[in-house]
Amino acid sequence: MPAGLDNLKHIVVLMMENRSFDHMLGGLSLVMENGHKKYPKINGLTGDESNPDTNGAIVKVQPNAKFQGQLDPDPDHHFPGVDLQIFGDAPPGPGRAANMQGFVKDYFTQTNDVNRSHNIMYYFTPDKLPVLSTLATQFAIFNGWFSSIPGPTICNRAFAHYGTSFGQVGMDIFYILDPIPSIYDRLIQAGHTAKIYYYDQQSSTMEIVNLLKNQPQIFGTYSQFIADCNANKLPEYSFIEPGYNDHPGPGDGEILASDQHPDHNVQEGERFIANTYNAIRTNPDLWKSTALLIVYDEHGGIYDHVVPPVCTPDGYFAKPADTGTGEPFNFDRLGVRVPAVLVSPYIPRGTVVPGPEDPANARIFEHACIPATVTSCFLNGDAKRTVREKQANTFLDLLSGPMRPDSEIPFFRLGGK
Amino acid sequence: MATPANAILVPATEKGSYNPSRSAGALLKAQTLHLREALLKHLEELAAVLAIDPKSLKTEGEVSAYIHRATAILHSHSAKPARK
Repeated sequence: MPAGLDNLKHIVVLMMENRSFDHMLGGLSLVMENGHKKYPKINGLTGDESNPDTNGAIVKVQPNAKFQGQLDPDPDHHFPGVDLQIFGDAPPGPGRAANMQGFVKDYFTQTNDVNRSHNIMYYFTPDKLPVLSTLATQFAIFNGWFSSIPGPTICNRAFAHYGTSFGQVGMDIFYILDPIPSIYDRLIQAGHTAKIYYYDQQSSTMEIVNLLKNQPQIFGTYSQFIADCNANKLPEYSFIEPGYNDHPGPGDGEILASDQHPDHNVQEGERFIANTYNAIRTNPDLWKSTALLIVYDEHGGIYDHVVPPVCTPDGYFAKPADTGTGEPFNFDRLGVRVPAVLVSPYIPRGTVVPGPEDPANARIFEHACIPATVTSCFLNGDAKRTVREKQANTFLDLLSGPMRPDSEIPFFRLGGK
Repeated sequence: MATPANAILVPATEKGSYNPSRSAGALLKAQTLHLREALLKHLEELAAVLAIDPKSLKTEGEVSAYIHRATAILHSHSAKPARK
């Protein structure tokens, strides 16, 4: 067994909100060094990707993304809107081909402003995102990690906890009708440890009302996560939720949302990722025994150039009235691509996990891969789960190298406010 | 661990970003609806237990069932996830 797996005791998943791969990391493909692409294996942007706007003008991707203020109103990311983004103007129905040509047109439906609709094509240059860009290039970046459903937050996050959304494609509350236990139930019933750390009680948890109602004992706050890291009390599996809203802090304090959901400040999310990484990185025992996955729940309506692939259905079915497109959905294709980065000292520097751009070696990931990986690691795959999760890729094989020396592992210093 | 000299600086978030007056988006509105739904379910359970007249409980089996339900509700109320 590789040393990384042999030493692995903890898996930590940090799920951020609503940004696409190209928007956050696509600029890495345009970084040049000595006349050559510095990161040739990363499937980011060429700079020529485009979408038509509602006047028929061609709108190219631009490195103009700002931390805040550009994506207000919130870009559409509900099922019909994402359908338009992926398939362009082709009406729903069999036989149409995805082309990723409807992002600008769909954002126009929110803005009613042609110029503003172009903002959906903006991306960050790597220097703007020192934390995510550094972790992506120093550890493992996934070229083919997609949201589980071409839809919004609630149903996508459900896949990270259950390996299914139980037929939901929207934001409605869902109830567990079938005996498919959450990853937390699976672990705890088998004598393992698991916890969901939400930011604080003003932010709370997002998609897991079922769990909140029935299992308050599996929840903790982000402060407790930091304390658990410092005290070597981290559970075997941890799922971290960022802060979802701006609210007053202790004293006259100001707590900013750290989820990066438009139009929350992206820098604050960078600091949150850095703080989470540092909490693991600065504890030598934890650092050598932990894998940290940073992933986004869905693309938030923001442009990505990679066509989402088909996938194994999870056995559920959404009616036309629920999808809002007039067509049913069988959970047989994935949503838009999202950033995903795996961190561990056993991952060789610059690891790029191939995606659809490399059909012979492609490894496709989505959020059902999270419970699949945790179940495989701690329960030897023994749990009742959907066909989709059973067939999902797992990612711990990426911890394939020897432990890297401390001197080459990045550390983040958070500038004062 | 001391901060290494070559640590990567993460800038402070831009001033003026804090805006609790920002309109709540669809996600946050959905979150409040979900929490309300959970509270209603909770209330139903509470109402069902409160509808039982403790004086009507005659046997140890009936009493223990009542105690079980009441304790479970009280424990969920006293759960404190926010250990700071």
